[in-house]
Amino acid sequence: MLAALACCLALAVPVGVPAQDAPERVTSDTPEFCLHLLDQVSSMVREASTPPSAEVTNLSAEGQKMCAHGQTKGGIMRLRRALVLMRGGVSNR
Amino acid sequence: MFRSAGFRFAAIYAVLLAVSAAASAYYVWWATAGLLDRQVEAAIGTDWQGLAERWAERDVPGLMQTIDDRLMQNVDDDAIYLLVDSRLNRIAGNLERWPSTVQVSGPFYELQVSRAGIRSLAMVRSYDLPGGYHLLIGRDVQVRAQLRRLLTDALLWALVILLALASIGAMVVRSLFRRAIANVSVTAAAIAAGDLGQRVRLSGRGDEFDQLAEVINDMLDRIGRLMDGVRQVSNAIAHDLRTPITRARTRLEDAALHAETAADLQAAIERATQDLDGIVAVFQALLRIAEIEAGSRRAAFTRVDLAPLLADLAELYGAVAEEKDVALEIDLPGALPTFGDATLIQQAVANLLDNAVKFSPPAGTVRLSAVPAPTGPTIRVADQGPGIPAADREHATQRFFRGEAARHTPGSGLGLTLVQAVAHLHGGTLRLEENPGGGLLAVLSLPLPEEGERPNRDVTRAPLA
Repeated sequence: MLAALACCLALAVPVGVPAQDAPERVTSDTPEFCLHLLDQVSSMVREASTPPSAEVTNLSAEGQKMCAHGQTKGGIMRLRRALVLMRGGVSNR
Repeated sequence: MFRSAGFRFAAIYAVLLAVSAAASAYYVWWATAGLLDRQVEAAIGTDWQGLAERWAERDVPGLMQTIDDRLMQNVDDDAIYLLVDSRLNRIAGNLERWPSTVQVSGPFYELQVSRAGIRSLAMVRSYDLPGGYHLLIGRDVQVRAQLRRLLTDALLWALVILLALASIGAMVVRSLFRRAIANVSVTAAAIAAGDLGQRVRLSGRGDEFDQLAEVINDMLDRIGRLMDGVRQVSNAIAHDLRTPITRARTRLEDAALHAETAADLQAAIERATQDLDGIVAVFQALLRIAEIEAGSRRAAFTRVDLAPLLADLAELYGAVAEEKDVALEIDLPGALPTFGDATLIQQAVANLLDNAVKFSPPAGTVRLSAVPAPTGPTIRVADQGPGIPAADREHATQRFFRGEAARHTPGSGLGLTLVQAVAHLHGGTLRLEENPGGGLLAVLSLPLPEEGERPNRDVTRAPLA
């Protein structure tokens, strides 16, 4: 019975092919991506016809500071939120 | 062990419980962990539709820009994109290189990824683009995978516990079954050993086993009554036949010892033969009653008009009554249809008339009447004889029953038994009542042709006693 259930559960798991040797590295968690996001935020602030909101300013400042202190993940998250807010809250997700 | 019904019941119980639990567990898994997987697949599919539109509008540059935008705005930080050319050179996206495990487009792949040095799990799908380009779209499913693993583990352990409980339950079921059957089995063994007084013990819960025990006990009671009836009939046969057999033997013995002439010897033999003929007649009557009660004559039933049949009987017994100085009055309708065996009905009415004439006092009156009642024809035979006391009437149709008033009248005690057997065979009734003018009133009710033609197995067997 247990074997049958395990079999059923296994059937629902996505298909995998050959075994993977090493994990593939994701590049959107790196300090470089953080800087790339910061450039984008700065560029949008410059090009905007109106000054950014206080929230955007705070988020971008915090993001910049965190990325500079090695807290890349947190910095990236804040910069992304700042970008989303500047683009009118329209997310691609 | 496999031949044991208790084991089979227990096994069926355990299997049904396990299958039900497995089905429930799989449904829970499908509705939770499966739902997470399906959500990821739907998100990737939606992503692909948007990117495909960009590709169609602006080719490679447009797709690169869109991928970059989406990565920058990916607040949940779970998106994975990779656009490569025909040589698998990276053009855009957040994956360092094309995974070697992703070889064909279409199916979903689980991919081990590293995010800031931490291993994680992603679900990805590859899409082929014109010009040899390939696009990989994925989502990080590490949290979902952990949740799914927890859920799967919990369900598997729940199944293990349930299997253990099912096994214990099966043993309990088997034990209960054996205990319930043992009660019946002990009783049956005692009865087989000759103790007919044993009965199945009731638990008092009124459950199915109690109902079965009650049915078995009722059956045993009925068998007991039938056995008593058989014993009573056997005793009655022995008692009633002993006298004429002894008488015939005595006559023959007396003739053998004391007959002086051939004429004396001849006369003794003739009287003994008459006694033996009476015995044969009793046995014939018993066999006939048994045949009627067996219901085999029912196959020969037809529509019958009783009016001419009763008229013939009245004519026949009119002469007999006249010899005894008894008046026979008749009141018969023009037609009296029923469904049955004419010969048997004639025999039954003849028995009633014979009794009525036999027990009527000189100058008495016997009345034969019939009416086509709504429920079927009713035949009444009334006499002015001693009648049957109310206390004896329910026994009067038993084999060899002889009322106090009939002790000194010739007869075998089988006449009314045969009448009742005929009535039951036809789905009718025989009632014995007190005649308003004194004496006995016998009422034989038979069904209408339409009712009688319907199958009625309940009436094919009359009670033995």
